[in-house]
Amino acid sequence: MTTGDSSEPVPPLKLAGHWDFRYEYFAGDAASRFFAELGQGRIMGTVCPQCQRTLVPARGFCDVCYVETTQWREVGLTGRIETFTILATKFHGLPDPPVVIGYVTLDGASTAILNYVQGVPLDDLDAAGKQLLGQPRVRVRFHPQPEGRITDFHFEVTDDPA
Amino acid sequence: MTRPDLDPPEVAVIGVGQTPYRRRHDATTQDLVRAAVHEALTDAGVAMSDVDIVIAGFAPDGLAGENCPDKRFLPAAGAIGRWSMRVNTGGTTGIAAAFTAMDLLEAGYGDIAIAIGVERMAQALDVPAVFNTIFDPIYERDIGISTISMCAMRASRMMMRWGYTPEHWAQVGARNFAHASRNPLAQITRPYSAEAVLGSRMLSWPIRQLDACPISEGVCAVVLARSAAIGSTARPVAWVRGRASMTDTYNLGDRFAPGRPDLVDLLSLRDSVNRAYAQAGLESGLQADVAEIHAPFTSAETMAYAPLRFCDAADGPELVAAGFGAWDGRPVINPSGGPQAANAVGATALVRLAECALQVRGRAGERQVEGASLAVATGQGGANQFSTCTVLSSR
Repeated sequence: MTTGDSSEPVPPLKLAGHWDFRYEYFAGDAASRFFAELGQGRIMGTVCPQCQRTLVPARGFCDVCYVETTQWREVGLTGRIETFTILATKFHGLPDPPVVIGYVTLDGASTAILNYVQGVPLDDLDAAGKQLLGQPRVRVRFHPQPEGRITDFHFEVTDDPA
Repeated sequence: MTRPDLDPPEVAVIGVGQTPYRRRHDATTQDLVRAAVHEALTDAGVAMSDVDIVIAGFAPDGLAGENCPDKRFLPAAGAIGRWSMRVNTGGTTGIAAAFTAMDLLEAGYGDIAIAIGVERMAQALDVPAVFNTIFDPIYERDIGISTISMCAMRASRMMMRWGYTPEHWAQVGARNFAHASRNPLAQITRPYSAEAVLGSRMLSWPIRQLDACPISEGVCAVVLARSAAIGSTARPVAWVRGRASMTDTYNLGDRFAPGRPDLVDLLSLRDSVNRAYAQAGLESGLQADVAEIHAPFTSAETMAYAPLRFCDAADGPELVAAGFGAWDGRPVINPSGGPQAANAVGATALVRLAECALQVRGRAGERQVEGASLAVATGQGGANQFSTCTVLSSR
């Protein structure tokens, strides 16, 4: 049996750790139909019977009025950027920069939906930011092989007048 | 009616204990909790045997990589044999713990309570990726959103609506860093200039590294008591004169429609302030000596100015340019340096309350604002959709 000197400093220990669990997220009725319609090239919202807002992306209830949505309504494939950011630093697990993400209100919708925004030169971030602050019009671009995810489309800045 | 009871017992913060909000490789979560609680009890002049209630907050678990850590840190806070529970509302977790404790004291479940906020995020090596997982997995998470980009999108909106520029926010950052240089608990104590903020790395346009909070950890503990238990103590206490915790929709995209509160109007903070100020008899935040604003980004701080009734929203940039919030004016904004200098997520909303309590109790040391008697603390959580406001007074 040995005895140690407890006054001798010990470097603080760090133990390596890792979380690696798999999940399946249950999208529910509204999002399941939203993604099915997306695969057909349509963007659909649900309508709140009380405030009459067309909620995009679609949801089963309006959280402000606290009532179920009752109707589906197709919205346009063009819209306006409400706000945005340009991801500029690489972080593990997040998209490779530079990339623009932003909220867009599609024509006919009452709420905005988040997605990637393409079509803005990103060699000068401040110039890109300035252009995007002007809230340009954008168009939905569907991807050829839909997977039933929000990444089945992105937005592209158009030259169309507002 | 803004309060559930017309004549509730009054409650006060009677003690504060805080660890430094820096990476602590030398201590377990439980060690940090115990250290903060011990300091708070000493400051309050009470013993653990006097305590009836222990409420603890920790959030989010993924940042620490400790799932359901409550089973270990609640006993470390003194919960054994006491009315106790954990609460979690993201960024507002720490203040939610304090409000829960206040509710229980007012309801008569005890005389003295401990509330703590715990953060261990320095254990995470991929903080932005963890923050991506707090967003909706169906519609939003795939787009690479994190807390930084979420707040950057609010900043862009403020540029569109009110004409803020990165220069305004750099000025806010420099003021916070100047104040933090007085705070031995802060993580960043170097008084970075506005030029340094503007020259720091771009994270998510328009937010730069020094516009953002650092990765901090630590524990904040407060001891709360109801008036009957405080008695005629000679120790200074911080009376809770108003408080509210309000919620807005999770959906950021729902806040752009004309005629409705905008994303950057910060509806939930406005609602919280309205209630808390009414309870405290306050007309404007400008009546306060001190405000501790829970804003992990410079732009987010300025977003709180209109809800706190410092100015109309459109006048915010002008207010910033005039040097608002500096040490020689009133109110002093974030005398601790605020979340910009240390943002231990699960604790930070409680830190805002604790710092205000130290100020009105005259116990803030080198960061004491002379003569401070009225202070306002805010909390922000969720997708910036949970807001709290607390008004503290020395009288």
